Amino acid sequence: MEVDIRALGTFRSLAHEGAEHAAGSLSQLTGIETTVDVTNVTLTSHADLAREFGDDEFVGVQIGFSGRLTGETVLAFDRDSVSTIVDVLVPGASTEGSFDEMARSGVEEVGNIMMGGFIDGWADYLEASIDMSPPTYVERTGSEILPDSTFTGETDDHVFVFKSQMRAVDETLNFHIYMLPEAEVLSELLSMRSRGADTVVPIDKLSVFNEMTREGTKKAADNVTTLTGIDTDVEVSRLSFVPIEDVPNSIGDDEYVGVVTEFDGLPSGYLAFLFDEDSAHTIVESMLPTEPSAEWGEMEQSAIVELGNIMTSGFIDGWANVLATTIDHEPPQFVHDMGSAIMSPVVGRLGKQQRYAFLIDSTVQTAGDEFNCDIYAVPDESELREVLESPIDERVDQMEPDTELF
Amino acid sequence: MPPDQRGRHDRFEVERATPDWDRLTVGIADLAVTAAEQTLTTSGLGSCVAVTVHDDVASVAGLVHAMLPRSRDGTGANPVKYVDTGVERLYEEAVTEGASSHRLEAKLVGGSHMFDFGDADERIGARNVDVARETLERLGVPVVGEDVGGDSGRSVRFDPESGTLTVRKAGATDRRI
Repeated sequence: MEVDIRALGTFRSLAHEGAEHAAGSLSQLTGIETTVDVTNVTLTSHADLAREFGDDEFVGVQIGFSGRLTGETVLAFDRDSVSTIVDVLVPGASTEGSFDEMARSGVEEVGNIMMGGFIDGWADYLEASIDMSPPTYVERTGSEILPDSTFTGETDDHVFVFKSQMRAVDETLNFHIYMLPEAEVLSELLSMRSRGADTVVPIDKLSVFNEMTREGTKKAADNVTTLTGIDTDVEVSRLSFVPIEDVPNSIGDDEYVGVVTEFDGLPSGYLAFLFDEDSAHTIVESMLPTEPSAEWGEMEQSAIVELGNIMTSGFIDGWANVLATTIDHEPPQFVHDMGSAIMSPVVGRLGKQQRYAFLIDSTVQTAGDEFNCDIYAVPDESELREVLESPIDERVDQMEPDTELF
Repeated sequence: MPPDQRGRHDRFEVERATPDWDRLTVGIADLAVTAAEQTLTTSGLGSCVAVTVHDDVASVAGLVHAMLPRSRDGTGANPVKYVDTGVERLYEEAVTEGASSHRLEAKLVGGSHMFDFGDADERIGARNVDVARETLERLGVPVVGEDVGGDSGRSVRFDPESGTLTVRKAGATDRRI
């Protein structure tokens, strides 16, 4: 079973287009201008998917679909912001505590209309009918908002999730559409389109991505602990597949302090370690003998670069171990800017030869919430495919004599 | 039409069909044109450039946010990803929307050099700015304001009513051009 990268790209576009239709329907119904920030396809383990949702409260609808494509969709609103919509649609409905009957039917109606638009695009593209089940109102915590069937397998089973991140332009209203196609049916569609294509990746190799990220992040985190004495935890790691121009949007406009590093080898690419400002201060404080200044002076910058350097080395080592290849990296460069602007030169350089990007992201944080560091890796897509297609085991065998010398 | 372009096309239509919104957000490798005096915004400009065009009399304004200098250097079907074809497209859409090619004026923002990634010919930011100027000159659209280069990211907001382009940089006060 192989996944054609271009087919995956096409399906992502369908999900994005569907989400735009859904956002358009919501705008027409409520008069609230909404927009779709990013649509990505993630391949993630059950455990990481569950963690991504945290303990947040959601209200939404689940709708199943079947036909040429089978699976489940969820429209999930942040519990705190959905009352904006309910107030417009069903004035007088109660959204205090548990939603009353009127509020629930308002949400169901919105969900039904929005998701109808979302699914129609897929049906048109596949030139087949897709049936929708009636909407089920859900009011749940964390990953429980997803259909129960999502988590039936083992915790390290992987699942493809199409996710659109949406919001109102002028108001606090955040919501997502998740689409979880049934693995077998999606696989069939993806491989059907891949015959003869030069852009295929064997599906079992895709889980290598997550292993790379996990291993890289863990080594980066261990190095931070060694340098600063602060115990760290590795959080969610995720592989997303997005058009290259959507990489900056995935990171957003918040300001970060950190480093960006170019790496070279199989694969080459770019790596960013980004701290929010408070986290960056905390970590610099732990590294410098004197109280750091609030400005990012030379001393503070070099502390961040030093930290970035050992995190980068750890991360790259982790990748090289999993892939059994050699990867070198340039000296990391300090950056203090908007997240999206930081990624703009990276996508500019990679965007010359690739239309889609594998965006690998993970988080290192501490149990005591002292700091939080987001890691983004964007490898060269064709080189990564090359290294995944070649037999990793053979390279490992060849490398063994070296390690025995020590 | 390939599905990749369908979404984009729809997006333009949605924007045109809803002129009552006050603001249009333009993504990366994206453009928007309005005849309804809506504010145009874009963010995350590092080495990318944003070009605005404006015809004050016809009240037509547009903004493109492009990533790479020339379409012939890259792959991909989206013309708005590149400065040369993106600016041309912006010009065409503005004229279609009722702008006069003689009255159009442009402003140019972005093209910063955020990192030294080695190889000198890779200064995408500076090349983006050069190609934007060249393309605008070829189209006969004067550049009446700019904030380009440097080493930090920018966000911009263009108000067609006053013709003011507000540039925001991390940790700096807003600049109006």
